[in-house]
Amino acid sequence: MSAMRSDTAAARPPAASRWGWSPHWRAAGKWGGVLMLGAIYFPLFWLALMSVSERPLSGIPLPFSLEHYAALFRDTAWVEPFAASLVIGALVGIVCAVVATLVGRAMPQTRRPGRLLVLFVLPLFVPGMSMGAALFIFTRSFLELKLGFWSIFLGHFVWAFPFALLIILVLTTRFDHRLVEAAADLGASSWRIFWDIEFPLLKPAIVGAGLFGFLLSFNEVLRTLFLRGTEETMPVWNWVMAASQQSQVPIIFALATLVLLVTMPLLAGVFWLLFARLDRS
Amino acid sequence: MTVTATIEETIAAAPRRARFERATATLSEGRWIIPAFLVFWFLLVIVPLLMLFAYSFFETRSFMTVYTPTLNTWVGLFESGRFEVTLRTLRIALTVTAIELAIGYPFALWLAKGGASKSTKAVVLALLTIPFFLDMSSRTIIWRAILGQNGLVNTVLTGTGLTDAPVEWMLYTEWSVHFGMVVTYFPTMVLPIFLAINIIDDSLIEASNDLGASPLQTLTGVILPLSLPGVLAGIVFTLGPALAAWVEPSMLGGGFVNLLSNSVESAYTALRYPVVAALSTFIILLLAALLLAMLLVARRFGDLSSTFKVLKG
Repeated sequence: MSAMRSDTAAARPPAASRWGWSPHWRAAGKWGGVLMLGAIYFPLFWLALMSVSERPLSGIPLPFSLEHYAALFRDTAWVEPFAASLVIGALVGIVCAVVATLVGRAMPQTRRPGRLLVLFVLPLFVPGMSMGAALFIFTRSFLELKLGFWSIFLGHFVWAFPFALLIILVLTTRFDHRLVEAAADLGASSWRIFWDIEFPLLKPAIVGAGLFGFLLSFNEVLRTLFLRGTEETMPVWNWVMAASQQSQVPIIFALATLVLLVTMPLLAGVFWLLFARLDRS
Repeated sequence: MTVTATIEETIAAAPRRARFERATATLSEGRWIIPAFLVFWFLLVIVPLLMLFAYSFFETRSFMTVYTPTLNTWVGLFESGRFEVTLRTLRIALTVTAIELAIGYPFALWLAKGGASKSTKAVVLALLTIPFFLDMSSRTIIWRAILGQNGLVNTVLTGTGLTDAPVEWMLYTEWSVHFGMVVTYFPTMVLPIFLAINIIDDSLIEASNDLGASPLQTLTGVILPLSLPGVLAGIVFTLGPALAAWVEPSMLGGGFVNLLSNSVESAYTALRYPVVAALSTFIILLLAALLLAMLLVARRFGDLSSTFKVLKG
């Protein structure tokens, strides 16, 4: 298809086809992707709409009712998994932010940062289920430990750390080290250099790493299934309810909508911080 | 006199002392953090993966794992119709990846070099990244309410009189599994390709045009080879999750579309851990084999040293 379209464009003067492709092809590329983005975000909108519908699995949202939200707050079974997800997510976020900052600052000064990077982002290449199974077999069958929150935490950390590190590296690799040298020449201690110079400059990335860590952990399901032992997190609870009881589905819609209402502004904030900061530097 | 001398001395000594402090600080900090974390990371990632591989050479007898090396688990892996499951998984994963590439590459090209404004780029990139952080199960289960027999699409179709009876093939078929996966894995294909195309120097494209290349020649001769590392990364990040897809087949397949991940899960519930290990290893090996094949093919077309440029950048 590109061949035919581009051939017609070849007859135009070079200025019109500056990027090496015709306007038609450009429009096709653009709208194909926009359609996909629509397919990603429309279900989220529909989820929120159907959560206030009387019959959430029907084709028409009307009549509206807040019945499922009332049912959600009467039912307390979701509170414990929800709290567990919050706590684990917060821990993963904080640990990711701290460790990724330490490692991300030290990495550009090492002799072979490329090799280290490949090693540290390795979990991104391993399918979630395989990584979950690997950690499960290592901890449960080989070390014979009792699984629980700690193993969920470790599994989530392995998943979230590469993302956190990449975010930190975006800023540390662009970091102007003359600033640190100038501060040192002026007699600042190494802690003061970090706190007064590096930290403020790296803050958007550190906050981003922490939030990404929290959100990745908060919504993780594939690894958690293997590593949970007898504990339950919110996505796992959602999963079990959705898979076994159709009657629970409306409550899941309501819960997922509430989570979305918190998650989306947080994410928008992170991206705004990151892009605004990158624009300035 | 003496006072000014001391002050002068202090001023002169300050940079020297600071430089010394800085040297010790970077030495002490840089030296222990990376090695310590490497050891930790090795224990947490590499050792479990090696252990997974080793464990697949044990077997289960009457719900107990027997710790003597054997090939029985691997031999038994493809009996009881699992060969069919493997083929189906491969077919679905490759189809989904091909569709993603067909939609994703032109989109990434438009986003990077198609004249999108800076803020459009930022918004689209944010929109592509946000889905990574959303709950998979609730995102997928809502498709039931859209594609189902009484769902949105069927209500619209029968309501407008386009069809007399609800369309049934839209849910709980291979079609719906493909659809769900294509929607989920779109960002993982677009983002790496975008990053690769975005760093291509505009002057290269202009030079190609100035030298009289047709737009098609510029695309195949300049943009495509230079963005090949991004394409490979996109394929890896899409094919990996697609080979191990579990949420989509179980939620949108309605029990009719069994993939390797369902086999892993049922072996896990049956406490047959060596089978879990063998299947998980198999998925990783499958991914590695497909990757190797692609790398060999890519070598004929593009300069692979640019791959490392992208990795460093």
